[in-house]
Amino acid sequence: MHIRSLIFVVFISFLGKAAHAQYNCEWFKAQGNMVRYQACLEANKSNEFYQFSKEFHEVYDRVMEMDPTWALPYRAKSVSYLKSGDFINWKKLIDQAVAYDTVTYLGYRAGCRFQFFRDYKGAIEDCLLLKKVMNNDMGYTANGQYHLDIVLALSYKALGDPNKAIETILERHQEANYMMGIFDMLHLGVLYAEQGDLQKAKACFEKQEAFNDLAENRYYLAMVYKELGQKENYIEQLEKAKSLYTIGLKMNDPYQAPMDKIYLKQIEIALAEHF
Amino acid sequence: MIRILLMLIVFGLFSCSAKTELKPEYLRHTGDIPADSSVDDSDFELCGEEDAVLQYFNFGDSDKYEGERIAICDYFQEHYQPVSIDESGWIRVRFIVNCHWQTGRFRMIESDENYNERPFDKAISNQILELTKSLKGWIGYENEERGLDYYQYLVFKIENGSITEVLP
Repeated sequence: MHIRSLIFVVFISFLGKAAHAQYNCEWFKAQGNMVRYQACLEANKSNEFYQFSKEFHEVYDRVMEMDPTWALPYRAKSVSYLKSGDFINWKKLIDQAVAYDTVTYLGYRAGCRFQFFRDYKGAIEDCLLLKKVMNNDMGYTANGQYHLDIVLALSYKALGDPNKAIETILERHQEANYMMGIFDMLHLGVLYAEQGDLQKAKACFEKQEAFNDLAENRYYLAMVYKELGQKENYIEQLEKAKSLYTIGLKMNDPYQAPMDKIYLKQIEIALAEHF
Repeated sequence: MIRILLMLIVFGLFSCSAKTELKPEYLRHTGDIPADSSVDDSDFELCGEEDAVLQYFNFGDSDKYEGERIAICDYFQEHYQPVSIDESGWIRVRFIVNCHWQTGRFRMIESDENYNERPFDKAISNQILELTKSLKGWIGYENEERGLDYYQYLVFKIENGSITEVLP
């Protein structure tokens, strides 16, 4: 497969130089925490290095030596292990970050357990603890795709409790000023469809279409029409799903496949099936 | 005097082990796999330099596998024989894909369901490793000047000897 070199130059440059923004070390100084202030200045040197690199890790090793109870270096070092699939070293590091700053990193760990390792039981444990600590408002995953209540709900679903999953999503959606996640209605629609509640499922997929139209909501809507015996609508939605898929309007994540994602093969099989 | 000497020796040993743990020897990048002729297929070669091997996610959302991820899941569903044993956790097999769509340098890590490193029964781990080695269809990349290599991995979530998830 041919990829233009320009893309790589731009991308690698981005990776190499833009690991994170500078930390505001002056805040620690203003607090009179000079140990953390010095450690923070050291941490800012990591900005020059790619987060997978030896140099990046050496910077944060020094930071950890300077201020062993600061959670940030453990989290920073954990990321490359997470992205390389090294669940053993990732977990050791992120556990230390959570131990030293539970409020900041517990939700992050929950999201990673769900997204990267399908550790539904672990994600539920983290979410439930965080809900207690944060008075029920856990916030969003690091990539912003999900409110952590949606992560909790999908974990319930994966462990065989779809009713609790629906209840958890609806409860969050009722919150004033809730910022709808980019896949929320899709997941809720799939839950309803799997429970046989086709009209609610259809309504969710139509809301997803209006908010963020993807191949997936069209595919699942087609499945609803199939159950309802509406052949023309079924085929129309599948063709739309294929068209959206082809132009890249589908559930996507550069690291892991999201739950309820569908693939071109599934659309084509459905199109070829006798209704 | 002997007591003091013993204390110094114990303290010295403890200090050394603590120091070793704090200052690990890093490779160029996390997850790099140096060639090892004792375990690696001698026919497998990189298209580029050792220090230019990329990560799978450096290619954005482009497909890394012919038939997409679902084809990988189907492959393991078809070929993996579940093992009746009370063992759960994760197995990661990491490897390199070169520009000729070939794979090599396979390495495995294993943990229980609490992320503690421990080996699975060989009937599980050897099967997963051999199936991963036999999996063909990883897409090779090249830019205008040369072929590119990248690190790919598969994480298998195992529950009681069965594969329940193939990631990423």
